[in-house]
Amino acid sequence: MKSFNGPKVGGLLVALTLVFAACGSDDSSSSGSGSSTGISASELVQETDNALIEDAVDGYRAYIGEQIAAMQAETAIFADAIRAGDAEAAAAAYPISRRPWERIEPIAGLIEDIDGAVDAREDDFDGPMDPTFTGWHKLEYFLWEAGDLSEAGPFADQLEADLQTFADALPGLELPPGVLTVGAQELIEEVAAPDGKLSGEEDRYSGTDLYDFKANVEGAEALIELLTPALESADHDLLDAIEASFDELNNQLAQFGSFADGYVHYDEVTEDQRSELAAALGELAESLSMLNGTLGLE
Amino acid sequence: MEDNSEKPKGISRRKFLGAAGAAGAAAATAGFAWPLLKNESTYSASSNESLGYNFRGKHQAGVTAPRMPAGLVAGLDVRVDDKRELEQLFVRLSESIELLMSGARYEDRSGGFPPADTGLNDRADGYVPPWVVLSVGDSLFDSRFGLASLKPRELQPMPKFNNDYMVKPATSHGDLSVAIGGVTHESVIHGFRQLMRSVRGSVIPKWTRSGFNSIRPDIKPGIAPGRNLMGFKDGTANPDPQSDSSMNEIVWVQPNDLQPEWALGGTYLAVRVIRMMVEFWDRTRLNEQEELIGRSRDSGAPLGMKKETDEPRFTSFESHIARANPRTSGSEENLMLRNGFNYADGLDGNDQMDQGLVFLSYQRSLEKGFITVQRRLDGEALEEYIRPLGGGFFFVLPGPGQGSDPLGASLLA
Repeated sequence: MKSFNGPKVGGLLVALTLVFAACGSDDSSSSGSGSSTGISASELVQETDNALIEDAVDGYRAYIGEQIAAMQAETAIFADAIRAGDAEAAAAAYPISRRPWERIEPIAGLIEDIDGAVDAREDDFDGPMDPTFTGWHKLEYFLWEAGDLSEAGPFADQLEADLQTFADALPGLELPPGVLTVGAQELIEEVAAPDGKLSGEEDRYSGTDLYDFKANVEGAEALIELLTPALESADHDLLDAIEASFDELNNQLAQFGSFADGYVHYDEVTEDQRSELAAALGELAESLSMLNGTLGLE
Repeated sequence: MEDNSEKPKGISRRKFLGAAGAAGAAAATAGFAWPLLKNESTYSASSNESLGYNFRGKHQAGVTAPRMPAGLVAGLDVRVDDKRELEQLFVRLSESIELLMSGARYEDRSGGFPPADTGLNDRADGYVPPWVVLSVGDSLFDSRFGLASLKPRELQPMPKFNNDYMVKPATSHGDLSVAIGGVTHESVIHGFRQLMRSVRGSVIPKWTRSGFNSIRPDIKPGIAPGRNLMGFKDGTANPDPQSDSSMNEIVWVQPNDLQPEWALGGTYLAVRVIRMMVEFWDRTRLNEQEELIGRSRDSGAPLGMKKETDEPRFTSFESHIARANPRTSGSEENLMLRNGFNYADGLDGNDQMDQGLVFLSYQRSLEKGFITVQRRLDGEALEEYIRPLGGGFFFVLPGPGQGSDPLGASLLA
């Protein structure tokens, strides 16, 4: 039996306190925010003298660029299918088109109103047919719930236009280092949120929550990969714990499918399996919550 | 977030004094005045000593702690792979519990980290450390950790009793259980959150219930410290937790009990979440209520007697108190120490209030204690007004001793 005289509370497993303060919940955030994600840049330190973190920020800017390009290309396929009235093709393209968005979701809060425009849920509106309810989930509603695409075309146009606005904002976007550290945690908190993927609230009509889930995890993994050089010198144990948690989470997700083969409908994930996913998410989130301080950020 | 004006303190080894004469005892502890016991409106933290419970000792201190204004109990499942990881889990739980019960400060961290504590533990807000009791359930002794041969002799899944048709697996049992008691709800919530964050991912919370007790200022053995949500005094006949001889007789597993040796100093815990049909109860004639319970509602006196402290002389064994404790020759071996709390959790799906009792009893023998008592209660007329919803049987780990062992050390040695 291990001695009981170890360090008190020092371990990386004792951190919690979800960083909701970093969500886009201040006055400048969008109305009708779909998922309450995104980081408010004002909350985060703007500078670091750690060159490894600066490199990571540069790497993340490139990653965001790649993801936005993929998002526009994949969303074009989805929007074209909607406009063509091809429900089958649209349904197949829907979860695929959302992946890049889900991978970089935390930066949505840095660009005003974008989250509410493209990723809001009907709960924020006067029902699903409220004309101000736009974005992926509006189209998801047309596809799976209404079963009628005759009025969906303008919303497909709008989604593409809003994503173009998002893409146009990127070059001028400030990327404080905290976007990376808090962003990695945010992506995981987003999965576990009561209105997130774990509850099946996100993609309630289509049941494609596992695509979003996996994409959130991939986005967090990409951030950790970029931060690995900085973390290796700051706290290798934390890095090991994070990687082990990713492995476990990915192993669990693999039992439900893959992007290549498709994921099962979220209804098929049992209560016990959700409980296991929640535990793995929780363990990962605890570790990720220590990232920011460990890397010397405020 | 303890009182920042004070330096971090060592862990108090002072044993928190318990319910017997608790007013004086609590006040005597480190100069602390417990408003609820002292009937004072102000909190005084004049002492330089850290107020807290002694985690170290032969027994877990929370079992015999005074009845608390706030309580929580949870069933937890562990998700570690082997015995070595289970040992590490008990180490982490023990560190977290010791720190919590001691009242010592949590580490200071820079603002770039999440705080090490919840912020609900500020002495200036009236925070007093809670106690925690850690127990193990029947399922921990399955094939996962090779502990089957070490299972306490009477530990078993809670059977379905007569009135248990609403008891659900999802709100019952667990590999582990924690019970927490505190002076404020915030202190209990702080405790549960600190505990869970220390083992996140290794433990799945399965079910919890939290609740409250009102505690009369002149609390002493022989009179009930408060009332249950049926409005009747509850706990009149509870044994005195400050009496070591009573506790050795009633609560703590003894060397001649044919238990595995590691279990000495532990005790069996029965948890029952018992919903009360309070709307129905409030429509029930007072005479009927009193006959069902066996006491006068207002005075607490056994029916036909004058005072709460009068020893009942039963002429029939239909009432709840007569069945629970018939005071016949031999029934003293069915005594147990009860330390539960009331709960009120909103409404059920039919707009009816989900209120009742989270019953916790500690006993040296589960068979002679809770199971025998419940078998006597099976079929009682009061069943019409109550519905057990969950709970479970657990074994309270022995205290961690005076050295540096964690809870569970004797089990996993």
